[in-house]
Amino acid sequence: MTPQIEISGVDKHYGAYHALKDINLTIPKGRFVALVGPSGCGKSTLLRSIAGLETISSGTMRIAGESMAGVPPRRRDVAMVFQSYALYPHMTVLGNLTYSLRFKQVAKAEARRRADEVASTIGLTQLLHRYPRELSGGQRQRVAMGRAIIREPKAFLFDEPLSNLDAALRVHMRMEIRALHDRLNATSVYVTHDQIEAMTMADHVVVMRDGRIEQQGEPLELYDRPANRFVAGFIGSPAMNFVEGTVEPDGASVRLGLPGGPVLPLGRRAEPGRPVTVGLRPEHLRVDPAGAQMRLTVRAVESTGSMTYTTTESEPELMLVAQGRGGLGPGDAAPLCIDPGNIHLFDRETGLTL
Amino acid sequence: MRRIVSSLVDGRGFDILLVGVTMLFLLVMAGLPLVYNVLMSFQQVDMFTLGAWVRPWAGWDNYRAVLSQPEFPLVMRNTAVFVFGSIAGQFVLGFAFALFFMLRFPFAATIRGLFLVSWVMPGLVVGAIWSWMLAGDYGVVNAILSGMGLVDRPLFWKSDPGLSIWAVTVANIWLGLAFNMLLLSVGLAAIPRDLYEAAELDGAGAAQRFATITLPMMRSTIGAVLALGLIYTLQQFDLFPAITEGGPANSSNVAQYWAWQWSFQVFDFAKGATVSVMMLAFVLVAAAAYVWSTRSEVRG
Ligand SMILES: Nc1ncnc2c1ncn2[C@@H]1O[C@H](COP(=O)(O)OP(=O)(O)O)[C@@H](O)[C@H]1O
Ligand SMILES: [Mg+2]
Repeated sequence: MTPQIEISGVDKHYGAYHALKDINLTIPKGRFVALVGPSGCGKSTLLRSIAGLETISSGTMRIAGESMAGVPPRRRDVAMVFQSYALYPHMTVLGNLTYSLRFKQVAKAEARRRADEVASTIGLTQLLHRYPRELSGGQRQRVAMGRAIIREPKAFLFDEPLSNLDAALRVHMRMEIRALHDRLNATSVYVTHDQIEAMTMADHVVVMRDGRIEQQGEPLELYDRPANRFVAGFIGSPAMNFVEGTVEPDGASVRLGLPGGPVLPLGRRAEPGRPVTVGLRPEHLRVDPAGAQMRLTVRAVESTGSMTYTTTESEPELMLVAQGRGGLGPGDAAPLCIDPGNIHLFDRETGLTL
Repeated sequence: MRRIVSSLVDGRGFDILLVGVTMLFLLVMAGLPLVYNVLMSFQQVDMFTLGAWVRPWAGWDNYRAVLSQPEFPLVMRNTAVFVFGSIAGQFVLGFAFALFFMLRFPFAATIRGLFLVSWVMPGLVVGAIWSWMLAGDYGVVNAILSGMGLVDRPLFWKSDPGLSIWAVTVANIWLGLAFNMLLLSVGLAAIPRDLYEAAELDGAGAAQRFATITLPMMRSTIGAVLALGLIYTLQQFDLFPAITEGGPANSSNVAQYWAWQWSFQVFDFAKGATVSVMMLAFVLVAAAAYVWSTRSEVRG
C-alpha cells in the first residue's frame, strides 16, 4: 500500500541557513506521528513544507502517492491546526467550520448538516453562532480542530496545538485528539516540543535536532534503545543522568567518575579501557542497602506525595526517582544500585550508543 | 482651598477640568465660527455689517437664491465628479499600491516612504506642477498619451470644458494617493499572516482570500479611509486656483471654490456661508454613515 505521506531526501534552506537536512520519513495511512525536538530544530518548517506553505529546496514529497512538487497548499488536501488557531475573527463558529466547503461547491444545506455533525462530535453545538472572540481558549482550540475535521483531509497537521492551554486542559485534549484520530481513521502529523505529549499520543515519534532527524521509531523503542546521547537525554522525564566513565580492563564492567569510583557490571562486553559516557535513568536507580554498588550523599529530597525525587551531592549530581516516600533525608549516604540491562553506554566523542 | 485643589488633582474634579478645557477649546475654535457661519447664511450681510452678530434676518432667501443660480446644477455635478472621482481613484490606486508593497521585495518600505512626498507637498505646489504637466501644447501628460498612441491630437485639459474638472481630479488623486496607501497599508499589516495560510489550506485562491479575508478584516479601515477622503476632498481648495480657477465657464467649479468666490470675489458673504452650510450638511450625513458602519466593529 502506498504510504499517505512520503518524504525523502528533503532539504530546506533559508538563504544561508540550512533548516532541514536530508529528511526521510514515511507515514502510512492511519498513523499518528509526532515530530518532537527543542525549539528551533525545524519541526514547524517540516510541517509547513508538508502543507506547502514552505517550498522545499530539494528532495521529494508525496502525499497519497502524488508528487507535491509545484502543488500549491490549496490543492494538497491537508488540514492544519495552528498554534494560534488562526480562526477567522469576522466569522462565527459556523462560518469558520464551513469556510472550506465554499470552495468545494458544497450546497448550503449540506454544509450546514456537516457542520452540525462535526460540532456535535467535538462539543460545539451550543456555540455555532458565536464569534471567536466570544470563546474561551479551549473552545477556540476545538473550533480549529473542527475546521480541519470537516474537510476530511488526506492528513491532519498539528503545530503545537495545545501549547496555549492550561495544564489540565492540555492533558484532557491530548487524549481527545488521539481518540478523534482513531475514530476518523486519520493520518496525523503532530509537532510538539513536549516529549511527554509525543510519547503519550503518537504511534511513531520523530526526534529532531538542528534540522536533522536524530532518531525515529515507536515511543518505547526510543526510550529503551536511544540511538545517541541526545535522544537519550531528550526522551524520558526526569531526564537521564550522564556520568563520564571508563570500561574496565575486563571489558565487562565500567568505572564511573563519581566519588569512590564505583564499578558497575555491564552484563555484556565492551572494548576495555574505552572512555565512555554512561547513561542512568533516574527511575532505574534503586536504593538498596543490601546490594549497594555506590554510596552517594543526598543533597535534596522533593516529594509530590506519590513520587520522591532525590538528588545527590556528587559531581555530576545524580537524580533518582522512586514511587512512594522513601526514607532518605539530606546528608544521608544513599546506597544505590542499577540493573546491568538498564545501563546505557555512549561514545564520549560522537555521543552514539555503543 | 486644599480640598478644592486635591479634588482637582486626584478626584473627579480633575477629569471635569480636563473635559471642560477641551470642550471650551472646541467651542471657541470650531463651534463659534460654525455657529456664526450658519447664522450668517440666514442673514442679510453686506460690507458694512460684516463684523456684527445682529443683522437683518433673511430666512431661506439666501438658500433660494443659491439654488436658483444658473450655474448651481453645474457646480453640483462638478462637485460630485470631483469628490467621487477623487475618492474612487485615490482608494483603488492606494489599495493597489498598498497590496503591492505587502509583497516583501528589497527596499519595499523605503520606496513606500518616498510616496509620502506627494502628501507633504503643499497643494499649491502640486497644483502648479500638475498645471504644467497637463498643459495642452507642451505638457508631459499629452506627450505620454500620444507617445503611447492613445490620442492623436493634444488634449486641452485645462481649457476644454469637458476635461477641466478631470484635470483637477487627477491632480487630487495624486495628492491623496499616498495618504490612502499608508492607511490601507497599516490595515493590511494588522491582518495576521496565519489567517491567509489557513484560508489557503482551506482551498481559497488569491481572489477568494482577498474577498473573504482581506476586505472584511479591513472594513473599519476602509470606512475611515473613505470618510477621511471625502472630508479632504471637500476641503481641497488649493488645486483650483493653481490649475483652472474653476473655469472655463464654471466647468471645473466645485462647491468649496464657489463658496470662496461668493465671499471673496463677489463679496456676498451670506451666499458664501450658505454654500458652505450646505456642504456641512452633506459631510455630517457622510460622517454619520461612517460612524454607523464602524459601530459593530469585528476584530480579533
Ligand atoms: N522564514 C524564515 N526565514 C529564515 N529562517 C527561518 C524562517 N522560518 C524559520 N526559520 C529558522 O528555521 C529554524 C527552524 O524553525 P522552526 O521550524 O520554526 O523551528 P521549531 O522546531 O521551533 O518549530 C529556526 O532556526 C528559525 O529561525
Ligand atoms: Mg514551531
